[in-house]
Amino acid sequence: MNRKQSSPRFRFAFAALLLSALLFLLPAVRSGDRRLYLLAALVPAFMLLCCTVLARLFSLDRMALTLSLFLCSVGIAAFAPADPDAAVAQALRCIPGMAALLIGAVLMRSLSSSMLSAVSSAFLGLLMLSAKLLVPTFSVPLAEAGLALLLVSVASLLSGRGSGLALIPGFAALILLLTGGEIALAALWGLTFLLLIFAADGRILVILSAFCVTVFLFFGYSRLFPADFKAADTGSLNMLISAGWTGTDILPGELPSAASLFPRLSLHFGLLFAGLTVLLFLPLSLRGIFIATSSRTRFHAVISMGVSLLPALQALAALLSVFGFLPFPGVCFPFLTSSLPDLCAELFMIGMLCGISARNEADLAEDAHLAMLAK
Amino acid sequence: MFSVTPELYATVSLVSRWLFVFIALLLLFFALLWQRAERRERKERFKNLPGAGTIGELLVLSGSDQLPPDTWFPVPREGVLGSLRSCDLVIPCPGVSARHLDFSWQDGTGLLIRPHIGCDVLVDGVPVDRHAASEGVPLLHGSVLQVGTGVLRLQVFAALAPANQAFSPAVQVAAPSQEAAFRIPPQGTAQYPDPVPPVWQASPVPVVPPEMQSPVPPVPVNATPPAPLLQNPEMPPEKPARPKRADRWKEDWSE
Repeated sequence: MNRKQSSPRFRFAFAALLLSALLFLLPAVRSGDRRLYLLAALVPAFMLLCCTVLARLFSLDRMALTLSLFLCSVGIAAFAPADPDAAVAQALRCIPGMAALLIGAVLMRSLSSSMLSAVSSAFLGLLMLSAKLLVPTFSVPLAEAGLALLLVSVASLLSGRGSGLALIPGFAALILLLTGGEIALAALWGLTFLLLIFAADGRILVILSAFCVTVFLFFGYSRLFPADFKAADTGSLNMLISAGWTGTDILPGELPSAASLFPRLSLHFGLLFAGLTVLLFLPLSLRGIFIATSSRTRFHAVISMGVSLLPALQALAALLSVFGFLPFPGVCFPFLTSSLPDLCAELFMIGMLCGISARNEADLAEDAHLAMLAK
Repeated sequence: MFSVTPELYATVSLVSRWLFVFIALLLLFFALLWQRAERRERKERFKNLPGAGTIGELLVLSGSDQLPPDTWFPVPREGVLGSLRSCDLVIPCPGVSARHLDFSWQDGTGLLIRPHIGCDVLVDGVPVDRHAASEGVPLLHGSVLQVGTGVLRLQVFAALAPANQAFSPAVQVAAPSQEAAFRIPPQGTAQYPDPVPPVWQASPVPVVPPEMQSPVPPVPVNATPPAPLLQNPEMPPEKPARPKRADRWKEDWSE
């Protein structure tokens, strides 16, 4: 890579590292807390380590990796001004998340489309989605992790066995999510699933029938449980606006959602910064689509398209939910969550994207080698 | 640890918050720039490797009104062949189902094809039994595939030719649209001498770059004689015209 090509990458990495350090330094200067100084040093150092050594070792896609790690560091920084202990805990949550990312990358480099992978991932994914129904006392939110596995299953079936078989795990997941009361995730999954069918199959008949079934399921659910469909209260929006463009150090009161870190981020660092952070999901999604279009196999293309669609739609839904435009509250922005399983699932999906990108690079290198042999 | 007075902190805080916004804006800008640079880089790489991602091409020997002979399709490593617009190889011929067959390249074996249920496929004139070949029937370099009324010949890039070691025996082809079967001469004959470099020992083809040209001299096919080129005697002889590449997006939503 020459200097001209590498400069945007280095500038981006430098800006991300600088900002992730400054986000901790500001509250550290105010309170003089040793933990915040430690975080200001360790978080950028960890990012640097991941984006250089680990990215080189595992051939990870640097852009997707840097963006997702920066969003994670913003999530940690959202706790820093008011609760340094929670910031340390959030930083510790990112370590298993990073392990999940590496597992996803390694898995995707070796995984190919087969009936065995489709069935096993569908079984595990549906098991995770039905965990709450099987064991009512089970409180760990595994829905996003289940959806990540179901994405592999659906991609495998869509690429190799046609859309007929892929409809089974897709709609099973939708029904389980609705039964479990996860309307927001069900809507996101339904939309992603329909878009994937549209991209991979393209038959109007299949798309229309899938769309009708999805609408019918949601309509039935809304008739059965009308109380679950309610817009977010405008009080949370008013609270966010009250913090102003640049934010404040002191939280005004009870935060709207415990898991979502977006309200904290907006209150502490202002609406402008929070809005720009949300806009960073745009290059992340573009990167996913870029990787999908470069993919050699249909299986990898469908997975990377799903992995880029799901967080993008989730971010959009969360944004709409903040403004009260969606009839279901409680949608968190990807990576800006304090839930460990959700964070791990999101980083696992980014890992899958990185693995597919590495595979694309390897395939292109093989093509170049073959062309060289032929000359 | 180090901390500042509240008065000084108020100033630092105000300046830093606007600085955060500025850096976040820069971050977004640099991310989009980086993405643009990578896209350009990929475009450059593909300009140098136009055949990247494909294993060869399928040349149409006989097709339909929408698919004239001498049209060629770049063949990806795996995908679906059918008449549907979303298929990887779109064959708009009568008798071709929406999704007719799956294909995937396997190094050392060839292009494995797996017909869908109720879809008739002939390889070198021999019907493919779907149940007997659950793993797929290999198409080799020069194999002729018939789907519906479409007859297509596979031409594999020379660089992938070591995978075609099983190509050496002669293959009898009897496509229904052709009156006479043709015979592909085995290696070692005068027409196809054994290549000298060890890399291409198994290759039945001369070594050419894999992206631009057909890897073999065209196998004679009686059904599609090459059209004579009109030439001005005073002008230097023109190169034979390259067959037209298929435009897969021509198809409508007829499904």
